[in-house]
Amino acid sequence: MIFSLRRGIDHAWRLLGTGLGFACFGIGGVVISLTLFPAIRLLSPDPKVCQRRIQRAMSGVMRLFIDLIRMLGVISLEVHGAERLKTPGQLVVANHPSLIDVVLLVSLMPQVDCVVKRSLWRNPFLRWPVSWAGYIPNTDPESLIETCAASLREGRSLLIFPEGTRSVPGAALNLKRGAAQIALAANRPIRPVRIQVEPLMLGKGVPWYRLPPSPGHFRLEVGEIIQPDEFLRAAGASSLAARHLTRHFETCFSNPAPSVPAV
Amino acid sequence: MQSREQIFEQLKAMLVDLFETDPSKIVPNARLREDLDIDSIDAIDLLLELKKKTGRKLPPDAFKSVRTVDDVVNAVYSLLSS
Repeated sequence: MIFSLRRGIDHAWRLLGTGLGFACFGIGGVVISLTLFPAIRLLSPDPKVCQRRIQRAMSGVMRLFIDLIRMLGVISLEVHGAERLKTPGQLVVANHPSLIDVVLLVSLMPQVDCVVKRSLWRNPFLRWPVSWAGYIPNTDPESLIETCAASLREGRSLLIFPEGTRSVPGAALNLKRGAAQIALAANRPIRPVRIQVEPLMLGKGVPWYRLPPSPGHFRLEVGEIIQPDEFLRAAGASSLAARHLTRHFETCFSNPAPSVPAV
Repeated sequence: MQSREQIFEQLKAMLVDLFETDPSKIVPNARLREDLDIDSIDAIDLLLELKKKTGRKLPPDAFKSVRTVDDVVNAVYSLLSS
């Protein structure tokens, strides 16, 4: 009786916390888009400097948000190898179990280019922040791969979820080859990240208010560098190397990486 | 002049070499994208390889409507016979 009452209170609290988290994210996003980001833009006439500053600010804001929902007890977080994410000029690939994977990864990376839905460039609040941040709109595959490879060649880091969308809970991962094709085109190192959420929350097809019985525990494992040219040399053709690399990502996402202490 | 069957066999070998396509799946009515997992970047590689093999440049327009293995065979056949 007392046990179930306590569980009921815990659930209600987390429901409130999750709702509050979403509200903060939405309202905070609009407020920051209308204040902090335009201010940075005004103070940074050089677009490259502006992009760097906006991305740094974006990372800070995301970290605040993650701290907030951790404090509210909505999620708990464990990151292995976080410092590995700060190497510049790498393609970060991760599996995509939940809605907040991108928030988690951006919060850990002071500079990272992201591929963003083209429709955001028509959103009155977000169109300016996404373009000031130098984020990349998802256009047709050929030009998208070239734009992403160019960003890596300039020494910037880039985040891609090879699944293209959130994972279907319980189903096998379905990875597209675009991320591997980008890494091969740019010949830049790949940094795999394995994300586990236990119990799953904010997964595909799960409404935000359907919470698991306990807070979702997010475990991020940042793996060892993968060199695309090694795959290209072994395969001979880039069409084959892209397939082998993509299969290798799947292994990285499904199996534990060599242990790195948590921070 | 090559027959359609010869073109099909060469295309089959090409798909196996370039994309590790399962040879048993390569049938005339197999769809490139849905059945053989050939994406738009692969299609560019395939066009380059076909150009190398045939010695002719395939007009990209002729390839716009290509959906199946048979469509590729027909496009190459008509190119070679033109």
